[in-house]
Amino acid sequence: MNSFLLALLNSLDIGLLLFIIAVGLNIVFGVLGVINFAHGALYMLGAYLAYAGIVGLGLPFWVTLLLAPLVVALLAVAIDRGMLHFIYGREIADSLLLTFALLLILNESIRLIWGNGIHTVEPPWPLQGTIAMPGGLRYPSYSAFVLLVGLLTLLGLWLLFSRTRLGKIMRAAAQDPEMAQTLCINTRRVITATFAFGAWLAALGGVVAAPMRAIDPGMGDKIIIESFIVVVIGGLGSFPGALAGALVLGLIHGLGGRYLPQLDLILPFVGMALVLLVRPHGLMGARRV
Amino acid sequence: MTSFSWKTALGTALAGAALVASSPALAEQPIKIGGIYLMSGSAATYGEFAKQGATLAIDEVNADGGVLGRQLELKLEDGQGKVAVAIQAARKLVYQDKVDLLMGIDSSGVAEGLVPVVPELGKPFMITHAATPAATGRLCNKYTFRDGTYVAQQMAGAAAVAADTDAAKWTTIGPDYAFGHQTWEYFSKYLKERNPDVQIMDDAAAFPKFGAEDFTPFISSVMAAKPDGVMISLWGGDLVNFVRQASKLGFFEQGFTNIYAVGAATEVLTALGEQMPEGQWLATRYWYDAWDTPMNKKFVADYKAAWGHPPSYNAEQAYMAIYAFKAAIEKAGSVDADKVIAALKGLTIPAPFGDMHFRAGDNQALIGPTIGLSGPMHESDGIRTLVQIRNFDGADVTPPVDPDCKM
Repeated sequence: MNSFLLALLNSLDIGLLLFIIAVGLNIVFGVLGVINFAHGALYMLGAYLAYAGIVGLGLPFWVTLLLAPLVVALLAVAIDRGMLHFIYGREIADSLLLTFALLLILNESIRLIWGNGIHTVEPPWPLQGTIAMPGGLRYPSYSAFVLLVGLLTLLGLWLLFSRTRLGKIMRAAAQDPEMAQTLCINTRRVITATFAFGAWLAALGGVVAAPMRAIDPGMGDKIIIESFIVVVIGGLGSFPGALAGALVLGLIHGLGGRYLPQLDLILPFVGMALVLLVRPHGLMGARRV
Repeated sequence: MTSFSWKTALGTALAGAALVASSPALAEQPIKIGGIYLMSGSAATYGEFAKQGATLAIDEVNADGGVLGRQLELKLEDGQGKVAVAIQAARKLVYQDKVDLLMGIDSSGVAEGLVPVVPELGKPFMITHAATPAATGRLCNKYTFRDGTYVAQQMAGAAAVAADTDAAKWTTIGPDYAFGHQTWEYFSKYLKERNPDVQIMDDAAAFPKFGAEDFTPFISSVMAAKPDGVMISLWGGDLVNFVRQASKLGFFEQGFTNIYAVGAATEVLTALGEQMPEGQWLATRYWYDAWDTPMNKKFVADYKAAWGHPPSYNAEQAYMAIYAFKAAIEKAGSVDADKVIAALKGLTIPAPFGDMHFRAGDNQALIGPTIGLSGPMHESDGIRTLVQIRNFDGADVTPPVDPDCKM
């Protein structure tokens, strides 16, 4: 029973970290209509910036948690104005190609700067230890912190979209950009801000992941595949869908890995296939053309 | 034929003579070696070490006058750890870049896909990293050689170490593809042979997918099974993730005897530093600090001078592949594929760990693993040292040629 509780907590950990990353992908798609292949690379950049800040510059983890996502968001503004800006309104294939090129550029730039080696970052004070659980089991305090960040992100996003003017503007720009423009909303600025916000979320995920995961040149590619599975399960462009998809995938990895380790490789795809059969637009996906 | 004239004949003869006369220039063309390694993604660090090892050997050979008076040149392709990509890379190297020799391959899965294609390419192929028994077993062919240890040799050593501990119940955690499953299969088999009383806990065996990132559920399930010993065959970034996550969950305080199939990879030990606990049995195909031979001292010193860190086993195996090719070409007096293959067959050449012999029956080098306990940090290299080192003799740990290997 206690070990089940631990497996459940672990599933939530995996799920909420995935949520932070995949929700950025989904928001960007919802507002811009762009499936951002480079989202995983932005996550990886966040992790590498954390490594550079903590190990290279000796900054505290908490400072990099604040700074690295901001740096990535600024880069995203440049990417939007310099690249993506030109393909809005075009076919989805164009944006796939462009963001795929961006992925290659980011991946190789990261390899040029930081090399091929595998790097690690230590969890910050006071999160190095473990929390004692009933039955002599232990739960890493840093994992508890990841849960907290995931829940705060969830709460923050919900407040943003339902309670703030900015959130309403983003939703308006997503639903009908022409109408929004007629209502004197600067849609171009909203679009840039949304893309930067999506990148900020990816990089936040990267910094949060850095003390738990090996920082290597392949981490972005791994997470983008997981994020796509989340999006397929949950529904493309849907904010609650990203949460549902991430939690389902977290449970598949966490509980499946613990109790059905032989099936870990196929379970995510079985889950994806089932959802596609029953609800082709994902658990929470709206019907789109 | 009606237009035959002595003029034409003379012209042809002259042109032929000119070609012959220009052949010294032809002879100065470099001998091209095509390497296929993981050059991108999570395990790109392995490809980089292989590149460093091969480059060091090539620079040494070239500075010494080359092979048959010709310089060596390395052409590298990224195999990306995918069978289709690696096969395409091999074809490009042979047909487009016109390489004379092929080497490389990090992943067992890729090796099993590429080896059957090699006869079609018709070039000598040296596997320097992938450890699947099939490459010099049921899939073997006359073109394919291997200058690194494979799973059977590695596990014969690991089982000897395991049998000397008092651990009676064993399970495993390894990547869910050829390497993880073969490691467990051979380890269980050899350990049972040495000690029939051990319990092999197949039910508790955990095989997370390669590149899983979060190993916590698998670590918990292994801990819940309460084994005495664990064979860990995760490698690369997976091993880094495993050690860090296992350490948080208290895995290393359970009193388990842990043996790591390829734990003493400097790529991983560099990333982990002090996070790799002491008292873990780390196996490797080659350990830079395990040999006192003059060749090893020179190799390690030159490698450190060139690249600023000690050589990994992958670097050493790539380094030795160049010297194996050199020896074979010089013995054959030619780079002709069939002649080089004939020369490589049964060849014995000096290596940092002593003589390296390619067995004629399956083209597998007879090399034994090095296994040691992780000890205090090395003062200047920034990685764990190995203590209580056991070097296994290749002749003792290599099983007979697989009857399914027919060349």
